[in-house]
Amino acid sequence: MRRIHAPADALYAAVVGLLGLIALAILVGPVLVVLAVSFTSEPSLRFPPQGFSLRWYAALIDPAQSGHIHEAALNSVTVALRAAGVATLVSGAAALWLRTRSGPAGRAVDLAFMSPLVLPMLSFGLAALILLTTIRVRPTLFWLSAGHLVVVAPYVLRTTAASLSQLGQPLLDSSASLGASRLYTFRRITLPIIAPGLAAGAFLAFMASMDNVPVSLFLSSARTDMLPIRLWGMIESSLDVRVAAASGVLVVSTTLLLLAMNRLVNLSRRISR
Amino acid sequence: MADGGAVTEAGATHGVSLEVDAVSHEFGAYRALDDVSLRVEPGEVMALLGPSGCGKTTLLRVIAGFLAQSRGAVSVGGVRVDRLPPGRRNIGIVFQNYALFPHLTAAQNVGYGLAARGAARAEIARRTRQFLEVVRMEAYAERLPRELSGGQQQRIALARALCVSPGVLLLDEPFAALDKNLRLDMQIEIKRLQRRFGLTAILVTHDQEEAMSVADRVAVMRGGRIEQLGPPADVYDRPETLFVNNFIGSTNLLPGAVAADGSVRLAAGATVAPPRPAPAGARVVVSVRPEDVTLHDAPAPDRFPARCRLSLPLGAVTVLDLEAEGGAAVKVVRLRSAEGPTLDGPLWCGVREGARVSMFAEDS
Repeated sequence: MRRIHAPADALYAAVVGLLGLIALAILVGPVLVVLAVSFTSEPSLRFPPQGFSLRWYAALIDPAQSGHIHEAALNSVTVALRAAGVATLVSGAAALWLRTRSGPAGRAVDLAFMSPLVLPMLSFGLAALILLTTIRVRPTLFWLSAGHLVVVAPYVLRTTAASLSQLGQPLLDSSASLGASRLYTFRRITLPIIAPGLAAGAFLAFMASMDNVPVSLFLSSARTDMLPIRLWGMIESSLDVRVAAASGVLVVSTTLLLLAMNRLVNLSRRISR
Repeated sequence: MADGGAVTEAGATHGVSLEVDAVSHEFGAYRALDDVSLRVEPGEVMALLGPSGCGKTTLLRVIAGFLAQSRGAVSVGGVRVDRLPPGRRNIGIVFQNYALFPHLTAAQNVGYGLAARGAARAEIARRTRQFLEVVRMEAYAERLPRELSGGQQQRIALARALCVSPGVLLLDEPFAALDKNLRLDMQIEIKRLQRRFGLTAILVTHDQEEAMSVADRVAVMRGGRIEQLGPPADVYDRPETLFVNNFIGSTNLLPGAVAADGSVRLAAGATVAPPRPAPAGARVVVSVRPEDVTLHDAPAPDRFPARCRLSLPLGAVTVLDLEAEGGAAVKVVRLRSAEGPTLDGPLWCGVREGARVSMFAEDS
C-alpha cells in the first residue's frame, strides 16, 4: 500500500531528522573529540591534535608511570562488579516479589527501590559518609560497594520488572498443573524468561557504578581511589593527556561490551520499553 | 480405574468422574460460588456456560486447584483432591490464551509435564512424539510458540495437557481467541480427541453455540449458582427460567395474560395454548424461538398481525425483523427456500405446530 505524502509530512520528517542529527552530534561528537586528542603526540589536551602517536597509551599502560591509575581502575571494577552483582540478586528478588503486589506495601517497596534515581546522589553520598562516621567505620571498598549498590539497584529492578511482564500467571498455573514443583517452575520457566532482563540490568548497573562520581567522592579515600576521581584529579593538577587515553580505553571497552550485550539480550529494546 | 487416568498401550487415557460437592467461594464479602454441586461422568463433556461474572471461571480455578474454595469438596475418580496441589489432581488444563512457555519449543512444551515429574529422557521423547502426532503437529516440533498460528498453538496446548494422561481435562474458553472458521475446526478436533481418549472434560465458555456443539450436558450459571443443568437440547427446548431462556439461543418474548378458559391472550393480538396450565388472570411472558414463528397472509384467532421491517439473508436461512402492533419487535428465522407470503404486504404470525413454547410469570 502506498502512502500519500503531504507537504506537512515532509516538513515533519525534515524537522525530526534535523533534531536527531543535532542530538547525535551533541552526544557522540565530544566522545570522538576525546578519542582524537588521545592520539596526539604533543603533551597537551588540545584539539585538533598535533601529530599522531600512541605514546599516551604507552604511558597509560606503563605500571611505573601509571600505577595509581591501574589501582584506581581495579578498585572501580571491583566495586562495580560487587555492586552490580548484589544489585542483580536483590533487585531481581524484589522484582519477583513486587510482581504480585500492587497494594500499598508493594508501592512503598517499589518507591524505596526507585528513589535513588531521583534523589540527588550528592546528598546520598554525604548522608552515607555521615552515617559511616557516626558508626565509626572507615570507608573501605566494602562500604563503597554498598553505597554504589544503593544507587545502581533501580536499574536492575526496572529491566527485570519489564521482562516479568511476559510472565503471566497462566504460565505459572500451567506449570504447577503439569506437576512441576515451585523450584522446578522457577528454574525452567521464571528464570529463563527474566534472564535477559537481569542481564540487561546487571550491565546498566555495572556501567552506572563505573562512572559514578558523587557517591565515590564522599566514600573513597587515598587508599580506595576510584577511577573517575583519579582522572579528575589528574586533569585538575596537570592537564595530563593520559586522561584522554584512559577515556579512549573506556569508550572502546564500553562499546564492545554494549555490542556483546546487544547480541545477547537485545539491550536497546529492553531499555526503551 | 478409580485411581485415575490409566495409560493403555496405545497411550490413550481413560476419563474418570469428577464431582463437585456443595462448593462455595467468597472473595471478601462477594460470593462468587454459592453451593455449587455437579457430577461429570467418565467420558462426558460438560459445559459451564454463563455471562462474565457468573462464577464459571472461579469454579474452574477451584477444580484445577489454583484457588482454595471456602467450603465444599472436589473429587476426581472418587478421590477427594481439594487439599492436593494442582499437579497432583489428575487434571489437565488448556488455558484461554494457551499459556505456552514462550522460550520452549513445541516439543519441549509438550514434554514439560513429564520432565517436571522426572520421567526418563527416552520416555519423554517417545511420549512427546506420540502426542505431537495425536494433534498432527509433528512437523512443528522445533518451532517456538511465537512461530505458530493460533490454531497450532492450541493444538500444542492440548498435546501438552494430554501428555501427562490426565483423567479430567479442563478447557478455559478454548475457542475465544480463534477466528470463526478455525473455531469450528478446533471444536471438531477437541471432540475427536475427547472421543478417542474417552476423556472427561469441562468446557468453560460464554458462547452458547460452542457449549451446545461440544458438550453432552450444559450447566448454565448465573450469580455463582447453577441455574439449569441438562443436555443441550433440553436446556434449549425447556428452559426452566427466563434467564436460561434468554441466554440460550435467541428468542421472542411476548407478554400476555391467562384468560378464563385457560388459554393465553397475547398483547400482540393472538390467542395461544399455554405449554402448561396457569391460573386465570396471571400475567405471563411467552417465549417463542425465531424458527418457530410461522408467517401467513390471512388472519386467524391464533395469529397476530405484523409487518416486515428488515430481511437479512444469512446463507441458508433468512432472518426477518418484524414489528407487531404496539411496536414490539419479533424475530423470525426461515429457510430461504421456504414458501410463504410476500413480505411487502400485511403479515400474520403464528406459532409452528409442535413447537416448544416456554411460559414464565411476568415478574420472573
